[in-house]
Formats: sequence, structure tokens, C-alpha cells
Amino acid sequence: MRNIFCVLVLALAISCPGCTSLDGQSGPATVKKVTIQDFGERVTAYVRLRKSAEDSQAALKSSKDSAEIEAHKIELASMIISARSSARQGDIFTPKISAEFRDIIRKTVQSPDAQAVRRTVQDKDPEKIVTLRVNGVYPEDNPLQTTSPTLLGRLPELPADLGYRFIGRTLVLLDNKSRLIVDFLPDVLP
Amino acid sequence: MKSIRRFIWLALLPVCLTLYGQKLTLPVHPNSVRFAAFGDMGNGKTAQYEVASRMNAIRKEFPFDFVITLGDNIYGGNTASDFRKKFELPYKLLLDAGVKFYASLGNHDAATQKTYKPFNMGGQQYYTFRKGNVQFFALDSNYMSPQQIAWLTKELENSNADWKIPYFHHPLYSSAKFHGPSVELREVLEPLFIEYGVQVVFAGHEHVYERTKPQHGIHYFVEGAAGELRKGNLKKTEVTAVGYDQDQSFLLVEISGNDLDFQAISRRGVTIDHGVISRISGQVP
Repeated sequence: MRNIFCVLVLALAISCPGCTSLDGQSGPATVKKVTIQDFGERVTAYVRLRKSAEDSQAALKSSKDSAEIEAHKIELASMIISARSSARQGDIFTPKISAEFRDIIRKTVQSPDAQAVRRTVQDKDPEKIVTLRVNGVYPEDNPLQTTSPTLLGRLPELPADLGYRFIGRTLVLLDNKSRLIVDFLPDVLP
Repeated sequence: MKSIRRFIWLALLPVCLTLYGQKLTLPVHPNSVRFAAFGDMGNGKTAQYEVASRMNAIRKEFPFDFVITLGDNIYGGNTASDFRKKFELPYKLLLDAGVKFYASLGNHDAATQKTYKPFNMGGQQYYTFRKGNVQFFALDSNYMSPQQIAWLTKELENSNADWKIPYFHHPLYSSAKFHGPSVELREVLEPLFIEYGVQVVFAGHEHVYERTKPQHGIHYFVEGAAGELRKGNLKKTEVTAVGYDQDQSFLLVEISGNDLDFQAISRRGVTIDHGVISRISGQVP
């Protein structure tokens, strides 16, 4: 009887949201950590894929020939597109990751003392309307919205040459090397 | 007769103003650090070429060695034709004369510009370089990540240069109406500038010229009108020392010892602002 009671207590401790888990971390904090970790792994997988595409290209560190830079970028983009031709919106921003991101962004942007953040998010140059799709190229004649430094400090850190950008109310994960849209999260801004 | 005389006078007035304005106010000391600063230039329109031609002409009197760009280097795309029309051709004479460009990126610039050799970014979105007793910090204000802030803090801390000059696209102070100041960026960067003794900062983004009164001891210049122009967009505020929004312009700077001399010049050659900032007193006499 005593054993059954112990098992029940243990099961409750593990399943109860918000309760302290066995390793001493709170439930929501652990869920958050796992979600962010999952995001990191998905991003790393993308960076690995890009790296393998880059490795099959002629190396280009810098060039005085802008045509060569442009051609290199287009070739990289086309290799990434074929390597992840089945990629869909939500592959990186899974429902769980999306919920976490929405929470971070909402808390950051809607906080009463976040006037400066809202100003950054709202300030933009006139831009063309772009239909967002994964593996789509974000047009180079469209300006890039400045990403709030405060928000960048709260969202998970990204590897070099990947960036968070807002396009309208959507958060886009943009590959700076290929200018490809890696994934996006719609209606994230209030 | 009287009206003819008035006509001649009115016709001569702009010429006189231009001739007067063209006077170089910079001292041109031997071994000084001399450079031009401007942004928002790369549109390939006639005015950009005219500003470039004015810079080239003035370089005979004021032989500056390099240019710092304040972002929006190439508008509307990054094809070879864009680079040719919006950078290589307008600045051909400067480039041929060996003038080096050190670019910073604006919100219209593609990240791949960092690999374009003539921009001297060394493949980095933010970087630093030194000329004499001056250390420059080219920042990417469009994406001020924690990594970049940590990098800047370390570089400022380690710098033993007399003058530490950050430059980037978005102005921390601006009295122009279109964008206004980047307040959030200011909250992040200004404490660092104050802590590490920065006295002069250059930015673009607003298509006007403006110099602020010292803010916490720092002089902020906005020079985002070397191609684009928002005529009449400047609404001078209590932070404005001098502002100009009637023509395209560029800025020339000379640093010698403890003095930083500056002269802002319009496309037509009129001096719109000039002065000297002392590193010791921080004042413009």
C-alpha cells in the first residue's frame, strides 16, 4: 500500500504542470528549456545543410567583382532550395516553439515600459508587399526592418548569418547569406 | 536701369554665395587623419554624381584618404549593374585616386555587401579599424544583437586610441520628421559611449544634415543626404546645433591631436556647417 502511494506521488510530481520536477527545475521552465533547445537543434540542422551546400561551392571570402558575389549567392540559394525542397512553414517554428516565441514577443512589445521597443518595431521605410513562403527569396529592393535590440536579447541566440526580421506582423527567420526565408511565424506582432 | 541692376545683383548673388561657401575651413595639418563621412547615397541619381564630383573637386584642396559610409550604400538591389551605377561610377575618380571606403550597412543594404572588397568590411557586419590616434567602430545598427553589443563593449574597453568614433546607420538623435531618433538603440549604445569616452558619432538614415548640441558630452552628426534628400523634413529641436535639408550634402573631417575639425558642404559647394571639437573640452568654439 505504501509503495503504491509513493508511486502515485512520484507520478503526480512528474505530470503536474507548474510543479517542481525531480531535477529541481520548475515544470514550465523545463518545458521552455526543452522548447528552446528544440529550436536550437532545428536551426543547427539548417546551418549544417547550408554549410554542406557552401562546401560544394567555390569558396568566396570577398571579391571586388559584385557580379561574382551575386552569382555565388544565387547558386547557394538554389542549392539550399533543392536540399530542403520539402521544407514547410512550421518546420522550425513548430507549434510549441511558436507558442514560446509569441509569448516572448508579446511580453516584450506590450510591456508598459516598452515604448522604445514599439517605436523600433513600427518605424519602417515604405516596402513592397511580399508573399512570404519558405525557400522564397526576400527581395533585395525591399528594406529590412530594424529588429529591436531588446527583443534580440530575449529571443534565442542565432548563429552567424541568420537573423530575425519582422515583415509586417510576421517574424521571419532570414538567411543573410542566401536571402532565403528559412521559416516564418505569422501574426506575431499585436 | 534700377531693375536691370537688381537683376544682375540677384543673378550674381548665388554665385557669390557659392564662392563664399566653397572656402575650405579645414586646417589641412600635415599627418592629420582626414576623411569624408556620408550616407544614403547609393541611388544612382544625378544628385549622387554631383555630390561625388564636388567631393572630388574639393579633394584637391583637402586630400582626404578615406570615406566612412553611414549606410544605404546601394538602394534597390545588389546586381552588378547596381554596384556599377550606384557606387563604382559615381566614385570612380575617388577610387582611382586610392581613396578607401569603409562601409557600414543600412536598412536598404544586403548583408552580402560585407564581402564586397571595395567596402573594406573584411567579411564582417561590424568591425573596427584604426587610423593614427583614431579608432573607428563600424556598427550594424539594423541588427544590434547581444553578440554585437558584447563585441563593441570589449573593443571600446580595449581601445587606447585618443578618439573613439562609432558610426552606423540609425541616428540616436535626430530632428528630422520622417524617422526621428532611434530611442531604443540610444538606450543600448549611449551608456557605452559615455563609459568609454566617445565624443563624436556619425549616422545617416535621415536624408538631411544635422549636428546636435553635445548630448552627455557627445556630438552626434547625421549625414544621410549624399544621394537621397528629404527637402524640408528637418524640424529643428532643442538638440539641434545646426541642420540643413535644402540640398544634398557630405561631411569632411580632419583630426589632428586633440582637435576634430569638420565642414559640411552642400552639393552646390556651400558650406552649411563647420567648426572644431576639442577632445579636452568637448566644446565647439
